[in-house]
Amino acid sequence: MAVIDVVNLSKAFGPKVVLSNVNLQVQEGESLVVLGGSGSGKTVLLRNIMGLLTPDSGHVAVEGKIIAQLNREELFTVRQSIGMCFQMAALFDSMTVFENVAFGLRRHLEITEDEVRARVEECLSMVGLKGTEKLKPAELSGGMKRRVGFARAIALKPKILLFDEPTTGLDPVMTDVIGRIILDLKHELGVTSITITHDLKSAFEIADRIALLFRGECIACEKPEDFKVNPHPVIQQFLRGDADGPFLQDPPPPKRKIKEASA
Amino acid sequence: MVPTFIDKAGAGVLKAADTFGDFAVLAGRAFAAIFKRPFDGKNLLNQFQSVGVNSIPVVVLTSIAVSMVFAVQLAFGFRQFQAEGLASQVEGLAVMRELAPVITGLMLSGRIGSAMAAELGTMQVTEQIDALECLATDPIHYLFVPRLLASMVMVPLLTAVSVYVGFWGGYLILVGVEGQSAYVYGNEFYKLLAFRDLRIALYKALVFGMIIALVGCWKGYRTQGGAEGVGQAPTSSVVTSSLWILISDFFLTKLLLV
Repeated sequence: MAVIDVVNLSKAFGPKVVLSNVNLQVQEGESLVVLGGSGSGKTVLLRNIMGLLTPDSGHVAVEGKIIAQLNREELFTVRQSIGMCFQMAALFDSMTVFENVAFGLRRHLEITEDEVRARVEECLSMVGLKGTEKLKPAELSGGMKRRVGFARAIALKPKILLFDEPTTGLDPVMTDVIGRIILDLKHELGVTSITITHDLKSAFEIADRIALLFRGECIACEKPEDFKVNPHPVIQQFLRGDADGPFLQDPPPPKRKIKEASA
Repeated sequence: MVPTFIDKAGAGVLKAADTFGDFAVLAGRAFAAIFKRPFDGKNLLNQFQSVGVNSIPVVVLTSIAVSMVFAVQLAFGFRQFQAEGLASQVEGLAVMRELAPVITGLMLSGRIGSAMAAELGTMQVTEQIDALECLATDPIHYLFVPRLLASMVMVPLLTAVSVYVGFWGGYLILVGVEGQSAYVYGNEFYKLLAFRDLRIALYKALVFGMIIALVGCWKGYRTQGGAEGVGQAPTSSVVTSSLWILISDFFLTKLLLV
């Protein structure tokens, strides 16, 4: 049985259809990377998995439990087994790094403050941020915030990790650092994960399978080596990073004009 | 088709019903969550500090200013028909029954209600409330309950402070300026008052505290649209809670004075 089972998932906001009959299965310990253009429904997919949004049709099941059919208490129990890393980290800005990472531990586990401290230090060292416990989120760089977000997400030892564009807005070096941390977490924790990213380099490093969302539909979900050679024109255009092709709804400005302008 | 007046009125009524229903559901969830575990004592103490202790200066200053102005008006009015002695009695009645709870409520809706709306609004647009949900924490329990409890306790206490300060505001004018006897003022201020009046003032303050916290949290929780939404949430919270404080004051007065 798949740990995460997305079945015929559709979601629209008013007239805009964001997800249309998406089907995805993620097996235990597997790392799925979801690619797609901006506004293609990647984040909406994760929010449906977390139960932050309710599907218009279809469903998401986590470990066999259909998320939309759970009551609040059952949903919170399922969420304790999922770690969510937000695009902009979503750290609690009134708390220190320590308090952010300790938040879930203090609320859900009946453990001593020494045990909380030990676990927080362990999580922060896993993301390479030991010694930052007393800092506030405002004192951290973008990459550090993401890593504190990772530490907070893994504190409760979840079985599933969801990463929402963990490298967006970071420089290439920090992007590589984040990619390595995700890989380390995958190997050390053995968790099932879904990563949404635009960064192809880290996508191919961390993925067991890669899916591509295009205009709300999942047009491919396969192993990285198969994905690379998939002849679908949208996939090939996405891999090339070329503006010309079927990927964009509105045609891009012609290249020659840009050349003329620079000349 | 051009919408008719009836279409627009119907849409307005539906929207108002939807808004009120949303508030009622969230308020109901907040009251139900009071008794849920875990009990977050540190968070509650922070709110007591924020709502109560930090509001003392503004409540003291506004209470003394309003009670002094009211004393000046009373002294002037009663002097017209040589009844200056009644000024302190009416001052006591007005401060206890109306001025203290209403002024405290209005000032706190501006000070703490707006702060709650801004804080929760910022948390909403920066996905911190979603992060709470993802950490298996009910935002209503974690965010609404401490603010609601703190307001329900601290607004009545600050109203009591306002009554005390109001006494001295009237004293400054009626004894210090108008030359009444301090002994007479001290007796006359409480002459028309009964324990019931203090009870009414505290009941009103309790209701105002609930309105301030629930409206502030609701407006913040429902914030949409980034910085613009965060900017509108406190304004909307202050206007809504001030309006509800004044309307509920009328009904509470009618109800409690019967």
